[in-house]
Amino acid sequence: MVIQNTTRRWGALSQLLHWTIVVLIIVQVTLAYLADDLPNGMRKLTLLARHKSFGITILALVILRLVWRRLNDTPTLPETLKPYERFLARITHGALYVLLFAMPLSGWMMSSARGFPVSWFGFIQLPDLVPKSKPLYDFFVTTHETLAWTLGAVVTLHVAAALKHHFVLKDDTLRRMLPFTGKKERI
Amino acid sequence: MVRASLAVACAAALMTAAAAAAPGAAPHYTLDQAKSSLEFAFTQAGALNKGHFGRFPVTMDFSADNLAASRLEVAVDVNSLDTGDKDRDDTLRGADLLSVSKFPQAQFSAAQIVKTATGFEASGKLTIRGVTRDTRVPFSFRTASEQGAAVGYMSGKVTIRRLDFGVGQGEWKATDQVGNEVTVSFALRLISATH
Repeated sequence: MVIQNTTRRWGALSQLLHWTIVVLIIVQVTLAYLADDLPNGMRKLTLLARHKSFGITILALVILRLVWRRLNDTPTLPETLKPYERFLARITHGALYVLLFAMPLSGWMMSSARGFPVSWFGFIQLPDLVPKSKPLYDFFVTTHETLAWTLGAVVTLHVAAALKHHFVLKDDTLRRMLPFTGKKERI
Repeated sequence: MVRASLAVACAAALMTAAAAAAPGAAPHYTLDQAKSSLEFAFTQAGALNKGHFGRFPVTMDFSADNLAASRLEVAVDVNSLDTGDKDRDDTLRGADLLSVSKFPQAQFSAAQIVKTATGFEASGKLTIRGVTRDTRVPFSFRTASEQGAAVGYMSGKVTIRRLDFGVGQGEWKATDQVGNEVTVSFALRLISATH
């Protein structure tokens, strides 16, 4: 397995980051959903603390992903794509990166505005990004929720496109982000 | 002549000693609530959370030269706690934590104050949520004269364990999310009644 990306295939590090973030997003949605219905108490506190810690983890992984993307090749889009499809693919991928940044940041700001400092799994206490304020808190709650639904929509589009490439167009677009599917190749 | 001045010196020394030992010789202070703070800090989900009390009457007799006559009484209106978040405040006031409806007042009562290397230390009984524990509170004290009035500035910090006082019943006995240690810090402006 190759660590680095090539123009034809995502490398091991990019794949690892991609799928780790996928798993963490599923964890995040589950934690948020579970905590939402709970009364104030230890369980809600614990779930939200994990939600915040995983969110900060995603933020760090996304930064790492963007840095890594800059440092090596990016697999090219399939030749068969029409211009509007190329445009849509770029918009979707761009939106995913923006949302993966904005989600944790808006959550972090929401906590700061509420006066609940964020800690990463109890190891590091993060600084407050905004001052404590009720209007700011309300704004970031709405922002965080809106971004969450937007992310849901963009992810749906992303997954639908990947499946279309795999099952309808039968190209290797999905496979090149999957481990153990690459042919032995020399760079 | 030498003998006479020695006698005077001895008499003066005796009088000073008598004055020092005399009960009630330490000035009486009351709290300037508006210019005083009583804060607490605890870890919640790994992050430091802070709050303060709005009402905590203090009466104190204190003289650095007459510690034997010095004493300290603090009565904290627990319901006046404020962490800046209503949900968190209400949770803290609840039966499993501070239980303010049953135990509206926390008290510290110290009849013994001693000098330490860095300041003073009050030894007394701290009562929170109906549980009383021997507690030592280190503090510094300085006096000032402000517009003819004698004032005292007292500050210090003490770390207590909430579970020693039963602050945390049921699920709140766990300390992984809400830490056991609570740091209580105070900065008081005290006004002397005798000025």
